[in-house]
Amino acid sequence: MNKGAKKGMVKALAVVSSAFAVICALPSLAFAEEKSGVAVILPDMNEFIPMLIAFIIVLIILAKFGWPVFDGIVKKRDSQIKQQLEESEAARIESERLLAEYRQQLADAKKESYQIVAEAKQAGEALKADITAKAQAEADNMIAKAKLAIETEKKAAVAELQESVVDLSCDVAARLVSSDLSDKEHRAIIERYVNEAGSFNAK
Amino acid sequence: MPSNRLVEKEKVATYASVLFYSVFESGGRDAVLRVRDEIEQVVRIIRGNATLIEALCSLAYSPEQRNTMARETFTECVSEFRDMLALMAERREMDLLAQVEPVFVDVLQEKLHVTVVDVVTVVALDNHLRDIIIKKAASELGTEIVLRERIDKSILGGILMSANGKRIDASVFTQIENARTLLKKSSDGGES
Repeated sequence: MNKGAKKGMVKALAVVSSAFAVICALPSLAFAEEKSGVAVILPDMNEFIPMLIAFIIVLIILAKFGWPVFDGIVKKRDSQIKQQLEESEAARIESERLLAEYRQQLADAKKESYQIVAEAKQAGEALKADITAKAQAEADNMIAKAKLAIETEKKAAVAELQESVVDLSCDVAARLVSSDLSDKEHRAIIERYVNEAGSFNAK
Repeated sequence: MPSNRLVEKEKVATYASVLFYSVFESGGRDAVLRVRDEIEQVVRIIRGNATLIEALCSLAYSPEQRNTMARETFTECVSEFRDMLALMAERREMDLLAQVEPVFVDVLQEKLHVTVVDVVTVVALDNHLRDIIIKKAASELGTEIVLRERIDKSILGGILMSANGKRIDASVFTQIENARTLLKKSSDGGES
């Protein structure tokens, strides 16, 4: 509140105080005589007029000195309030904008995080599938190799056994032929072989 | 100018024909046939004894020393053949002996009209078998046949005949080996 306004306020208070003092100085008029009937509720002119005068005086004084001060204060307050309202509105708009911005950023961040998680999940799935496939392939390969090795070993063992049987049979046959045949039988074989044998002219 | 190969061939032919005529002159057909066997034996000995062939061809010895060495090594041979071996050693041409052998056999067959058939059996041949073999060989080769018999127990049975570089193997050993090979081959393609 500026100095002018303070001065006006003080002046107005002084005037009001003076008028109140004038009114208070006339009590004898107010309580001069007793009334009855309808006259009780009707104003006593002796009291009413001075009161009215005093009121008018106070009103004039107040209208003259007090009202502009109050009006100024109220206007100033009004403008302050308006300004504060505008500022608060601007702040609200700004805050709403920021909020919307933050919400957008949050949504973007959320979206991005979802995307990252999804991508990570996808990459993880792909990696898992790849590792599984590789492990499966390796296992299949190992199994195939093992089967092949077993089969080869088996074949080799069977072949070896068959060869041993063949060798044994042939050795036995050779021994039987060499030890059991007499000279006569040998000569018979020779004769048969000579007759059955191929030719010197054969190509 | 003749190449080394032609010169070598000529030398081999000369050795073979000289040997044939000299042996035939002194001992006739039997001596020639014996020399034929001896050549074969000497070739086998030389092939199986690297030290001997090295020594007989070595420059570390003089020609005379090599000549003496050959004579003393092959004392059992027919003298004409021994002379030829000594000459070959002197000239460091012992490695030609393996080539002389077939040429000598060719000369022998051409000049005597005889084919020598080597026969290997487990038991000694009797006359009946000889007749059969000679008849068969003569009908096929169209010449007079001379059998060179040898007993070898390793063939187990049957007969092994060879003439003119051709060979008829009707031995039990070969038949068993063929059976062995066949059985092993068939067992390879067996169980799968």
